[in-house]
Amino acid sequence: MGSSLDTQALGFPVELSQLGREIKKLWERESQTSTRASLINFAVFCRGPEAMQASTDLLMEFTRHHACRAILIGAEPDSSQDQIRAWINAHCHLSRAGAKQVCCEQVSFYFEGRTGNRIANVLYANLDSDLPLYLWWQGDFPAPIDVQLWAWVDRLIFDSQSWAQPRQQFSLIREALSSGHSRLVLCDLNWTRSLHLRQAIAQMFDCPENLTLLASLNTVTISHAPGFHSTALLLVGWLAAQLKLELHDSRPDNSQFTAPGGRPVRFVLKQESGRSISRCELHSDTGSLLCQRDTAGDFFRMEIRHQHGDVHHHLLPSGSNAAAPLLLEEIAGGGPHRVYLRALAIAEPFF
Amino acid sequence: MTTHHDRAANPLREGLSNRPMPQPCTVVIFGASGDLTYRKLIPALYNIASDGDLPAALSVVGFARREKTDDSFRNELEEATRKFSRQGINEELWGSFRERIFYHKSEFGDLEGYERLAQRLNALDSARNTRGNRLFYLSVAPSEFGGILEKLAAVGLNNPAEGSWTRVIVEKPFGTDLPSAQTLNSVVNHVFREEDTYRIDHYLGKETAQNIMVLRFANAIFEPLWNHRYIDHVQITAAEPLGVEARGPYYESSGALRDMVQNHLLQLLCLVAMEPPTDLTADSVRDEKVKVVRALRPMKPEDVAHNVVRGQYTNGAVNGREVTSYRAEDRVSPESMTETYVALRLHVDNWRWADVPFYVRVGKRLPKGGTEIAIHFKAAPGVLFNRDSAVGPNVLVIRIQPDEGISLRIQAKRPGASVKIEPVKMDFHYGTSFGKASPEAYERLLLDAMSGDATLFARSDEVECAWRFIDLIEQAWHAHPSPPPLCQYPAGSWGPAEADALLERDGRAWRRM
Ligand SMILES: NC(=O)c1ccc[n+]([C@@H]2O[C@H](COP(=O)([O-])OP(=O)(O)OC[C@H]3O[C@@H](n4cnc5c(N)ncnc54)[C@H](OP(=O)(O)O)[C@@H]3O)[C@@H](O)[C@H]2O)c1
Repeated sequence: MGSSLDTQALGFPVELSQLGREIKKLWERESQTSTRASLINFAVFCRGPEAMQASTDLLMEFTRHHACRAILIGAEPDSSQDQIRAWINAHCHLSRAGAKQVCCEQVSFYFEGRTGNRIANVLYANLDSDLPLYLWWQGDFPAPIDVQLWAWVDRLIFDSQSWAQPRQQFSLIREALSSGHSRLVLCDLNWTRSLHLRQAIAQMFDCPENLTLLASLNTVTISHAPGFHSTALLLVGWLAAQLKLELHDSRPDNSQFTAPGGRPVRFVLKQESGRSISRCELHSDTGSLLCQRDTAGDFFRMEIRHQHGDVHHHLLPSGSNAAAPLLLEEIAGGGPHRVYLRALAIAEPFF
Repeated sequence: MTTHHDRAANPLREGLSNRPMPQPCTVVIFGASGDLTYRKLIPALYNIASDGDLPAALSVVGFARREKTDDSFRNELEEATRKFSRQGINEELWGSFRERIFYHKSEFGDLEGYERLAQRLNALDSARNTRGNRLFYLSVAPSEFGGILEKLAAVGLNNPAEGSWTRVIVEKPFGTDLPSAQTLNSVVNHVFREEDTYRIDHYLGKETAQNIMVLRFANAIFEPLWNHRYIDHVQITAAEPLGVEARGPYYESSGALRDMVQNHLLQLLCLVAMEPPTDLTADSVRDEKVKVVRALRPMKPEDVAHNVVRGQYTNGAVNGREVTSYRAEDRVSPESMTETYVALRLHVDNWRWADVPFYVRVGKRLPKGGTEIAIHFKAAPGVLFNRDSAVGPNVLVIRIQPDEGISLRIQAKRPGASVKIEPVKMDFHYGTSFGKASPEAYERLLLDAMSGDATLFARSDEVECAWRFIDLIEQAWHAHPSPPPLCQYPAGSWGPAEADALLERDGRAWRRM
């Protein structure tokens, strides 16, 4: 608290009512040397001046890889003034093909005091028509959910890792979904965060010989960094759902599941320093899989060991934990995330 | 199909990727000290590894005759990959990748070398869990195919072990005419089943070529117009500012028609002209493509004189730099009759394309480079706006390279009190909208071959039908008593005047690129 909004990076201030006209003017100025590109409306909600600055930096990075109309929405409900301010800006970079500048516009709004209830209205008035709306909501959702705001969102992006009370947050989402907004796809960056890890683990089982290991799995140990307990829980949910395990006995960080044939499978979570999930071990009667993030953090070192003595190693990309690559990964992936919902259904009681 | 079977068998795969999943295997490259291996194949495999898509169990064995150790081979490949990989090199990943590469020294004609290869592959299978799956990549001149395949068969390497597979990838050119293509097909298919034979046409691996089907069949607005009622004609152009560079001897025996039209440009034409396949399996797609080639109207010698223009470049300038004539190029005959340019007027004789000409042109030493397909629609009826002055037609352009994208020319009213119509262009650039670089064609093709998906590879009947068609033109040029002339064009121009006349006769003109 206390820091004031640095408006420099937000571009030049505009009257809310003149915004459409100002964007048009912006492109008239830029059009000689640059090309405007847009595939989605990408709205980002954040709280406070620092988050506005950080989000602008992130959008600059994001637009290099994914053309969009970026709409930054900041809120400061504790401000003594009730006002909405707006700015426009263009993020330009040289295109892959060479000479041409490619530009995406950023429209920023700052809702102070009691103006927060007008977010939906302002957002809808400033969407690029016909393009889907992706909304990245940073932090917690307010209760109750603004149903009007969500009504037109195609993909709702959030990060359950940042929530202090994930159960309460998920129940808010469920409530909003039950009000009939079927177009909404839930995109949890906490799930995206484990994408490369899940890919790496899955890849090891593309080799049919290794599948026997899954069929006789008995223990899974996951090491996570402080603050990434929920990431590990989603991973537990994923393995359990995909392997059709039933929850038998739930104790925090040491839960017991039952495989279809009645075989018990234990999941142990350990907190260790490192980056998000640093290590995942699958032990079975016929061998083991060890997946370990290397110290630099760019790769997973995979090691598969069979009971009869064979050992195989593999190096696979581990992706990034930074916000921009996670968002890009999420947006490139698309899809309705059915597997996530299944994993979540198992993981949620543990949150 | 194995791909689907394996994916279904791995319960953790669900929802993770809709890309083809390559299976554990050993890739054996014949001609591993050659240019293609260094420039394309190894960088492609490395990039697949860098994207995390290479199977955990994968080995690469290079087969060539020069003296090299595994280590010296790996070092050379490292240098090449540093230079040619689209995403540079990561030391750690390269360190792990290089351990999977091996060099096998042998002459193509030496049977004993293949026996040693078989032993080595078996040993690698057990050491690296590659399960007896083998992908043989013939990165060699077609004259070597027969010898290599025969020896592979002699030591039984073409026969997969129970539960495993063996496949072969063959490089272009696949034959030089119909009889040679038939011979090659019978040589290859004598040793490998057709479904295990992957004939590379790297144009099909390009992102925009793959997008043609998506554009046509995933957008409801185009397909209803995609026929003779609405399309006036189609132009397909592949222009290159380069000359023959160091490939003089090869080019002398090939020429533009065989080098580019028989394979790449006819493939593009097929993608534009084909009917929607019933599904996206390799054979459904290729069945439809082959129907197009079969429907190409064959040419008698007099038709060739009328519908085909061949040209050769003379001295001129490209990009402001003076360049010599084709006949003065390194290892090219001073009396060469090889065409460096060809323009054709083709017809696809079926219901959809009745009376719609397809103009195809390809040339070297043209002012600029680029491959594109332009669909010229019929003009709107001239009753309202275009009564006095002709309003240009709509043109949909699919740019294959460079700057891949799609543009649509439409007519718009110029602001002002009078009704003045001007064409405007709506332009979509892949590079602008999707910041991520597309994978190289060879990456996609190698991934597909490792995954058992042959959709982007040419099938034997496709190749033979294309040669049957092309041979008629070659015969009219080279086996007819009064062949049509070889026209000349200065380097740096858009080809011979006769090529312009080919369209002018029909009241049309080549699109300005
Ligand atoms: N290069 C390209 O960009 C490109 C593009 C499209 C298609 N292609 C096609 O791909 C194929 C390979 O092209 P390339 O450019 O890589 O050819 P290249 O540079 O001439 O390489 C040929 C390779 O074959 C080996 N070789 C030749 N005769 C041999 C023998 N008797 N025993 C053992 N090894 C032998 C050579 O080994 P030595 O080094 O010991 O001679 C070399 O490794 C050709 O069919 C070509 O048409 C190439």
